Amino acid sequence: MAEPRSEEDVIRYFCTAGNGMEPFLMEEVKKKLAAEDVCQLPGKVLFSSSAGIDKISDLKAAERLFLLLKQDSPLRISAHTSSAKAASVLQYRLLGDKNQWTGAVMTWSRLQGELAGSRTTARTPSSALGLMIKIEEGRGSRGKEEEEGSCLVESRKSPEEQREEENGNERLKSGEQNGTRTLEKKRKRNHEEEEEEAERKNVEKGKSAERGRRREEEAETGMDVEFNSYHGTDVNQSTTDLENNVESSSRTMDFTERLQNGMNTCGDKDQTPLIVGKSKPELSSSIPVSFRISCKCTGSLSRCFSAQEVSSVMGAGLSRLLGWKVDLKNPQLEINVYLGDDLCLLGIPLTRSPLAKRSYIKTTGLRSTVAWAMTSLAHIQPGSRVIDPMCGAGTILIEAAQEHEAACFLGLDIDDGQLQKASENTAFAELGHRIHLLKASSLALPLTGSSVDAVICDLPFGRKFGTKTDMATNLPLILAEMERVLCVGGTLVLLLSPQLSFLLKKVLTGPSSHQEAKPPPGTENSPSPSVCATKQQAKASPQLSLLPRLSSLRHEATFRVSLGAIDGLIHKYVKTEC
Amino acid sequence: MKLLTHNMLTSHVKGVSKGYPLLIKATQVKVNEVDFNPKFVSRMIPKLEWGALVQAAEGLGHRQDLPGELVSDYEQNEDFLKKVHRILLEVEVMEGCLQCPESGREFPISKGIPNMLLNEDEV
Repeated sequence: MAEPRSEEDVIRYFCTAGNGMEPFLMEEVKKKLAAEDVCQLPGKVLFSSSAGIDKISDLKAAERLFLLLKQDSPLRISAHTSSAKAASVLQYRLLGDKNQWTGAVMTWSRLQGELAGSRTTARTPSSALGLMIKIEEGRGSRGKEEEEGSCLVESRKSPEEQREEENGNERLKSGEQNGTRTLEKKRKRNHEEEEEEAERKNVEKGKSAERGRRREEEAETGMDVEFNSYHGTDVNQSTTDLENNVESSSRTMDFTERLQNGMNTCGDKDQTPLIVGKSKPELSSSIPVSFRISCKCTGSLSRCFSAQEVSSVMGAGLSRLLGWKVDLKNPQLEINVYLGDDLCLLGIPLTRSPLAKRSYIKTTGLRSTVAWAMTSLAHIQPGSRVIDPMCGAGTILIEAAQEHEAACFLGLDIDDGQLQKASENTAFAELGHRIHLLKASSLALPLTGSSVDAVICDLPFGRKFGTKTDMATNLPLILAEMERVLCVGGTLVLLLSPQLSFLLKKVLTGPSSHQEAKPPPGTENSPSPSVCATKQQAKASPQLSLLPRLSSLRHEATFRVSLGAIDGLIHKYVKTEC
Repeated sequence: MKLLTHNMLTSHVKGVSKGYPLLIKATQVKVNEVDFNPKFVSRMIPKLEWGALVQAAEGLGHRQDLPGELVSDYEQNEDFLKKVHRILLEVEVMEGCLQCPESGREFPISKGIPNMLLNEDEV
């Protein structure tokens, strides 16, 4: 449990991360935050750090950031346990001492203040800030009540701590004066729309092919949604449970969680009594802290409990323990509960919008976290010249330029529309002086040989581009051009589809080996893409024989990362003297 | 197009053996103030084709008094680094074209972005 701490103290956090991004996030927290007790779980990284919250909230490989409330061994409840018994076990194990909760909320509140304070420019996206600014806006009536409300909690706190919170609010106000207000409102609105959209998708998920791509967006929206993409079957299970439980649990208490909002949208909106929870957020002055619980259950536990049941039980328990009030629509505090076979994890999100949603990116291209991961492999040094021969909207170069101030970047694309987007994006990110653009084909780069220190490229693939065949055919030529412009010791980082990844290995091992019937043993472990790749290989092979073997490119590493609907493979090569 | 980019650019028209450096024919040149980063400039200098850079700066009327030969111990010479910074990053060709020194092929520059795309018969 998090205790009230002085500024210097170490605080335990956890971040969610996309599939395959965990190792990048591990590296990042160790390197940038000097984090200790770093622990990697599927989709999550736990760590302790005394670094400032501004640094922590600037993590690039993470999806969302949470203050860790409690980490415990997994609950073991047999399927035969009565629900009352199970509920008491849940409350006993997860609720604990109320001082721990108030302590954690104090820490959370202080971090919120620091976050708001550190973000005085208008370009920052902290939506936790957005939440608090909303309170400020309603200062006349609702805001007043809000203040009284928090005082009730603070009466348990020392006057000193109380002052600290007020300071946070002061900082908030000044941030507002600096012009964050309108922007924040706008972002908040966008975010809410996104969230609603994601919830809708949640419900109708998994039927058509198009959904897969949507799920990619969902994964970025939040943890509970992310849970769906990672544990599809479990969700189906708990969604069914949810349906059965809607009535009973809502009768006992006007309490639900976000999954359910999705259900409301999809159908019986008017009949569901839970709609109470969706009504206008009027904060009563008699309730100190309003909160909402978002819960995910996976594995064996999800057969005893639905996420909704856990939320209900926990919500009731917390209300009783602390006198806090459940508010589903606009709570002051969100508490995320994860119950899996590996562990129980409770946390409070520190920013409302994911860290992966960058304030400095206007039009999103490739996932920002994956783009950042690619740049982290490229060994960019002061004075490095870095190119992206198919830069699209420029996401990779922007992520790289944000991280490396003393390097310069050149983006090439064949399409005027993409270049226009890239130009707007680099201007928006205020990186126009270090990211330069050029119209050219990746098949004939207009650059002198050995002039570049790193080539980073997301090779277009998949439905979105419809160029799979071309890409497969052109891959050897594209690769030869990249190799030519790289200096010896330079790094090549590519993001490829599983099919292209397989093809690339063939290209690099040379024409002699492309008659092998089976894929070479290695990082590739799914057999299905290789079938497609073999077909493409047949088309590509005439090109292959015309090319040098590209043997100067030495393979260094391959990482599989989730791009939402599909996985991508990040290959890293270093050019050696051949 | 900044001169930093120009320094790497070459004509890649079929049959051209010496497509470097490209001749700049500017009709609109802009000078923007950019934050000076001495580390970046001093690390970049050894990677540059110095002669091509000075020639390009001269053509645009921004050579200042930069020497035709790269001086040694420039790392500590802030005045020198600032001048290089200026021609590398602050001077920008917005409109005009780049000409291949061998074939004479012109590549247009529009809104600061050179179009180096070749026609089918040039590849």
